[in-house]
Amino acid sequence: MNDRFSEAAEKGSTLLQSAGCEFAEIRFSSGVGTTISLSGDNVDSMTSGESLAGSVRVLKNGSWGFATFNDISSIERFFNSALTAASIASPDEKSRVARSEPVSAQFRTEPVEDINIITLDEKFELIKSYNKILQSSPKIQTTKAIYRDVNSRYLYMNSEGSRLSYEKMHCGISLTSVAKEGSIIQPFHESVSGYGGYEIVRGREELAEKVVKIAVDMLSAEPLEGGTYDVILDPRLSGVFIHEAFGHLSEADFIHENPRMKEQMALGREFGPAGFNVIDDGSITGLAGYIPFDDEGIYPQKTYLIKDGILTGRLHSRETADKMGETVTGNGRAIGVMRQPIVRMTNTYIDNGTQTKEELFDSLDDGLYAVDVIGGQTNLEMFTFTAGYGYKIKNGKPGKMFRDVILSGNVFNTLKSISMIADDCEMYGGLGGCGKGGQSPLPVSYGGPHILVKNVLIGGRK
Amino acid sequence: MDRILESIPGKYRWFDAVHVAGRSTPLSFRNNRLHSLSESESSGFGFRINRDGRTGFSYTNDSQRKAGAVERAYSMAPYGDPENFTLPSDTTLDFEPYDPAIDSFSVKDEIEAAEKFISDMKAAFPEISIDMGISASSGVMRLMNSEGVDLSYRDSYYSVSASCVLVMDNGVRIDTWEGKSDLRPVDYSEFKEILIEKIKRAQVQEKIATGLYPVILPPQAFSRFAGIIASGLNGISVWKGVSPFAGKLGERIFSDKFTLADDPLIEGSPYKIPFDAEGVNVSRKELIKDGVIQRFITDLKYAERLGTEPSGNASRGFSSLPSPSFTGVTVEPGSSSFKDMIAGIERGIVAEQFIGLGQSNTLTGDFSASLDLAFLVENGEIKGRVKDCMMSGNIIDLLKGDVHFSSERERKGSILMPYTMFPAVSITV
Repeated sequence: MNDRFSEAAEKGSTLLQSAGCEFAEIRFSSGVGTTISLSGDNVDSMTSGESLAGSVRVLKNGSWGFATFNDISSIERFFNSALTAASIASPDEKSRVARSEPVSAQFRTEPVEDINIITLDEKFELIKSYNKILQSSPKIQTTKAIYRDVNSRYLYMNSEGSRLSYEKMHCGISLTSVAKEGSIIQPFHESVSGYGGYEIVRGREELAEKVVKIAVDMLSAEPLEGGTYDVILDPRLSGVFIHEAFGHLSEADFIHENPRMKEQMALGREFGPAGFNVIDDGSITGLAGYIPFDDEGIYPQKTYLIKDGILTGRLHSRETADKMGETVTGNGRAIGVMRQPIVRMTNTYIDNGTQTKEELFDSLDDGLYAVDVIGGQTNLEMFTFTAGYGYKIKNGKPGKMFRDVILSGNVFNTLKSISMIADDCEMYGGLGGCGKGGQSPLPVSYGGPHILVKNVLIGGRK
Repeated sequence: MDRILESIPGKYRWFDAVHVAGRSTPLSFRNNRLHSLSESESSGFGFRINRDGRTGFSYTNDSQRKAGAVERAYSMAPYGDPENFTLPSDTTLDFEPYDPAIDSFSVKDEIEAAEKFISDMKAAFPEISIDMGISASSGVMRLMNSEGVDLSYRDSYYSVSASCVLVMDNGVRIDTWEGKSDLRPVDYSEFKEILIEKIKRAQVQEKIATGLYPVILPPQAFSRFAGIIASGLNGISVWKGVSPFAGKLGERIFSDKFTLADDPLIEGSPYKIPFDAEGVNVSRKELIKDGVIQRFITDLKYAERLGTEPSGNASRGFSSLPSPSFTGVTVEPGSSSFKDMIAGIERGIVAEQFIGLGQSNTLTGDFSASLDLAFLVENGEIKGRVKDCMMSGNIIDLLKGDVHFSSERERKGSILMPYTMFPAVSITV
């Protein structure tokens, strides 16, 4: 396969040199992966497969043409169909792209323990041992333990003369226990993944123990009553909170051609309290949202979205950066070469504040400590996110455990209700990811320190 | 077929293989203008083999490396669970989910129609921003197995969606969409009227206090809740004991007005299939009839585990093992029209779109979601928008109690549903 890959790359490189359009890029990828999925006492599936994919994207007379294929040896044909597609329409309003200097570089994941030298038996035994822990209470009805690894090769080339390659090794596990008692069924789930080798998944017994313990504990937790609460979010939830309540809003493709949104998102607008900083940074190696370069051939960077409570930046693709007259940030991302890049987050987090976690708790006489995450969603005005579970806080002390903690708020106002920020930022990113424009899951990570948010609406029956 | 047989390294009990290939032409409009035009071609091959009762699987989308996938599947089989079912040999092909009219798809005509649609919408709302996706695709699915089945069928698919965003001066955002899919290109000009009415209403804000209200869910919205019920009827969750309906065959769980079926033959649906992904013949099946649980959906593996006949619900792409899934979900209509339902409400809500639905413990039917787009109903009339509130409850409990289905139904994608009204649902402000 390597020979055909290189041969297609050489043909592609020649095509790009005489593309005859404003901008053109070719992306190729090949991958080999293993997935082992266990459930209860069963092997749900054990799969090893390979994939090969290519795409061409061209900008001609202000119109985008895009072709995708897996027969990479016919690159000339697909290059022409992308050019033809772009030529069909000649729009009045033209798309343009921000330019960049040509760059050439080769990147590769440096694993501590290469997954290729670990036998299938060993991977099977490891995930089996975690699955056993997930079953370790009589109250566990079923489990799901998934191991996944992928070795892939990615090549990006464009008409500016850039040529970037990335040999990627990605590995992760996803662990779920479902506890049951009478008619109550409570699942709990944890996942870790990252770019690296087998070291990412080895020694995760504690994680599995946590999953089974919380699933069982949640059987006796009561659903939280709906209403307005002062809430301390743990680092993982504060990460999901910033991803949903603000991160998507900072993606410039929601803004760049909408005058009202531009006004709403004018740089300099006050979004949160003093001392509140939000950052997106795709250059942090190891994290799930790490990219050596984005899918438009731009290097990632550390972008301050909010600095000291003030809106200071946003995330761009080449097209949105050009349109808004701002600089590219390296956030043009696609879930695979078969999809077009759109503006996406990478590793997004709330930076550390100056207070301690203890100070946050001490300040709260009556409220809620919301922990862990099930998911979140936004429509760019309102957002919701679901905590794994929570504890009522009285006089600074966590008490009774509650389930069904679903928080909701307004993207423009809720950040202003952040009243305290601790100094214990942590980052998270599992085997799942973020969804947008039908592209899901895109690997991202998110995180933050413990934060205290006032007056949060929580759904539930009275 | 011969090449597959040659590649199998040793003895086996059975095998099957799927080969899929397709082409599509997606058009994308963003922010009121044509953004990109695509051409997409893809194919893939998946192979499953049973050795001594255990099954292995592998795939590739590199047409020159099928033999490698066969060998990998063979070598992985010993890790599989014991499976003693046999593959079907009597698969029949009565129709193809294909309409030759898919070839009449004209990029130029579609661009013209979409531009007209956008300009009409802009005439109604000058500040509106519209994204549209229009796509035509066709392909071939081929299924082969060791029992002599070697059948292939063509499929065609057309889809269109229009998503409108209007940001008001006060920062309030109205974001709503319509979409449909068919076997061939279809007219969608009716979206205009529907969207214009929704957006007009949404510009007026109404107030509502925390409490219990009658709530009407239109077909699309109700399908998300019906999906929570449907997942409990999947043989996998029944066998694993995490379905609230496990062990309840023959029991009345819901209101006697509630009848839900799996229908792989919904008229006009591009999701209809002549046989399932393992070659089992398909038919419409009532899973819940008059509130009573009748049966669950299965593939061959879960039919064996549950000791039932396979229901013909195996689904698979080339890169995955078959697994039971719904091909079409229908809910039987009721007697009163949507209009009469509205007329009978003194103060209630029509809830169209949600944020965060499905992020609760759906295994037990619980839900709690923010109302993304919902309208107040007052004295029998639909009024303006209610927002910034959450709707919570348990869908199983709601369908147990007093529930009303409209006489009219709509097909959206692979679902066919009526409007559904629950007389008392919890709203938190």
